[in-house]
Amino acid sequence: MRLLFSLMLLAVPILGVWTFLKADEWHTWFPQNVSSFGGEIDGLFNLILYMVAFTFVVTEVCLAWFVFKYSAKRSDKGAFTHGSHKLEMIWTAIPAVALLFIAFSQMETWAKIKFQKNFPKDGAYSVEHPIAEVWASQFDWRFRYPGDDGVLGTVDDLETSFEFVVPVDTDVVFKLRSRDVIHSFFVPEFRLKQDALPGHTIPVWFRATKTGVYDLVCAELCGWGHYKMAGSVRVVSAEEFKTRMAALKAEWFSNGKEEGQ
Amino acid sequence: MRSESRSLLVAALCIVGASWSCQLDTDRPAARPVIHYSLSEATRATSPEGEPLVPLDVQANVAGSLEMLFGTPAHPQFMLLDEWKESGFDLNWPQYPKGDQGSGEFSESDLASLATDNARYFRTPLMHIEAGEYERVAIHSWSPDLQRAWAALLAETAPELRNDEFKAKAKALFVDYYPTLASSAELYRQHCLHCHGPEGGGDGPTARFLNPLPRDYRQGTFKFTAVGKGTPRRADLFRILDEGVTGTAMPSFRRFSKAQLNGLVDYVRLLSMRGMVERSLVATFAEEEALTSGDVVAAYSDVWSKWEKAAEKLLVFEGEVPHPTPESIARGRELFLDAKSANCFSCHGPEGRGNGASAFVTDPQSGEVKPAYKDDWGHDIIPRNLRYGIFRGGRRPIDLFRRIKNGIAGTPMPEAPSSLTADDIWALVHYVGTLSERPQLVHAPAHDAHDSHSTPETHGSEPAKH
Ligand code: HEC
Ligand code: HEC
Ligand SMILES: [Cu+2]
Repeated sequence: MRLLFSLMLLAVPILGVWTFLKADEWHTWFPQNVSSFGGEIDGLFNLILYMVAFTFVVTEVCLAWFVFKYSAKRSDKGAFTHGSHKLEMIWTAIPAVALLFIAFSQMETWAKIKFQKNFPKDGAYSVEHPIAEVWASQFDWRFRYPGDDGVLGTVDDLETSFEFVVPVDTDVVFKLRSRDVIHSFFVPEFRLKQDALPGHTIPVWFRATKTGVYDLVCAELCGWGHYKMAGSVRVVSAEEFKTRMAALKAEWFSNGKEEGQ
Repeated sequence: MRSESRSLLVAALCIVGASWSCQLDTDRPAARPVIHYSLSEATRATSPEGEPLVPLDVQANVAGSLEMLFGTPAHPQFMLLDEWKESGFDLNWPQYPKGDQGSGEFSESDLASLATDNARYFRTPLMHIEAGEYERVAIHSWSPDLQRAWAALLAETAPELRNDEFKAKAKALFVDYYPTLASSAELYRQHCLHCHGPEGGGDGPTARFLNPLPRDYRQGTFKFTAVGKGTPRRADLFRILDEGVTGTAMPSFRRFSKAQLNGLVDYVRLLSMRGMVERSLVATFAEEEALTSGDVVAAYSDVWSKWEKAAEKLLVFEGEVPHPTPESIARGRELFLDAKSANCFSCHGPEGRGNGASAFVTDPQSGEVKPAYKDDWGHDIIPRNLRYGIFRGGRRPIDLFRRIKNGIAGTPMPEAPSSLTADDIWALVHYVGTLSERPQLVHAPAHDAHDSHSTPETHGSEPAKH
């Protein structure tokens, strides 16, 4: 019996580690990373994961072992203890150090991604000249591009919905806004998530490293139609970006003639 | 000993329970309620004494005729008129895309774009086929025709005989996919029916929680089209499915393939025509006190001719879409507030807040403020608050142009008076856009332009509280 129970307890870490090792094969791990900073985020995730996993496995193995070793039938009565000051110091200090370590190790990455002073400045897009204004609203994503003059808020602005087209290998800065409630701009493949707050204009940047179409979802429960806010980010080559902008211009300023029947 | 056997029992129960709950996940087909088309409430209406207004035998006749013309939810199909058969015209897929002579010809390039889009939509199955992993190909339950075709293809060729030719055939199945009407009906059942109802009456179980209500297709009236009050073109319905109706419950279905969306358009058209024929048969009966098979065919071809001609009323603008200027915005404001021409403010309010004088009435007894207008489906409707910048029919300049020029079918929003020129309509478009987007542009120039007139605030009084 004690063997059965300790084996069952032991099965938990074994299964856990096994599913982790198999996850890639089963496609249940993260989606691919296609942003320049995604690797760092994954690195942080893995750092924490390995720390936690190590603790988890050690605790589980101890637990299984104790269940086996100290089963009621085999050992004598347990000894009573008032606790150990030294032990408590140790198990407070170790997690504290671990937490501080985590806190310090993520600071640089956070600053790089979220601090405005570290935003890309030299490329085609910057906080002053964003590629687009992204509007979240119940329950749409809309993207407003500045049009030919490169300035947002002018009469030649172009708009499109649900699909955000951006050039590959380019530092892209956009402004995130909300028309009504809090939404959140989340692209799992970019490891990028940013809340959109009504009344705020929040600059966001990323650099996509691979062309393709990636899911854009709203990651903040924003009302009954939250599920509808499923869009996509289409990462294209620089030339294709130009042709797509030209097509968008034709579509936006269409006089209704070249439309389907 | 006793505690040990008890824990063994618990463990055994856990295992049994776990394996049972796993079973729940298997693909056992759930019992599915059978869906029927029923007649509309109007047809089934009774007099205060409980007598049916349309006698029951006539109702049965109407139901039978509709089934003959449009089939059942499991087997929807358009009946072919004799002259269609002669000319080889077939509204039912797969003949339709090439044989269509009515509204909506699918050109070679349209068909090519459906194929490209299928390649996107089916990229996972296509990937598995490319890798030769045929057993990993999974097909959604809303494409029963594709499931069947795929199963047939697999059954036809033994695994060891699956060569390159087979691979090409397998791919073509997905790339050239276009759903049959029955398959589109299944897609509709899974994704639209809970709002729009089995007959497209806008009365699915979710509907009662929604405002505005899901569209009732049966009158053939659609709001956001490029053709004004007429029946919509395929492209109009497609656009609705692709974009959704912003600001309402109607979601965007862009996630589906273009072929599937077109299939849904086919099915919405079928439901809409079915509803129109039903109404027309009931009206004929009310007039003639009898229904003959001639009436049925006449109603059917009459309704079809309306749909066929949809594209004729397409509203386009000759020339390049003009950009707003301070002058056009000021002109738009003037028209918006002019009771003798556009008169928009009487409904939308002097500031576009949807609270014009005619939009609400005060109940003399209770003092309650209520919407004054009803839409064609008999529900309360209020003019839009134009300051929100939410335009259900699309935000492009041409969309607003069409909305303002044609009005919105089925709602009190009227066609623009014919005295307004295209430039005037554009001025209104620019002003309406400015109301939500760049209010700072509205006030500065517009006030000067308006000095000599009465101030807008003296028009239309605000309703109680807004
Ligand atoms: C959550 C409910 C909901 C679902 C699901 C839904 N609709 Fe709708 N639909 C609506 C509502 C609400 C409107 C009316 C919008 C309005 O009046 O402004 C509408 C309007 C429409 C219109 C008319 C647009 C016009 O121009 O008048 C069509 C066509 C339509 N829906 C088709 C579909 C199809 C096809 C599906 C399934 C793929 C679907 N809808 C799923 C709620 C829904
Ligand atoms: C008789 C009342 C009435 C008048 C007059 C009127 N409207 Fe409307 N308008 C409405 C109603 C009602 C709606 C909302 C329709 C709906 O909810 O589907 C509406 C909606 C709109 C919309 C939103 C369209 C969309 O895509 O969502 C615009 C823009 C608009 N009106 C502009 C105008 C302009 C410009 C004028 C003057 C030329 C005008 N309206 C005159 C009643 C009116
Ligand atoms: Cu949201």
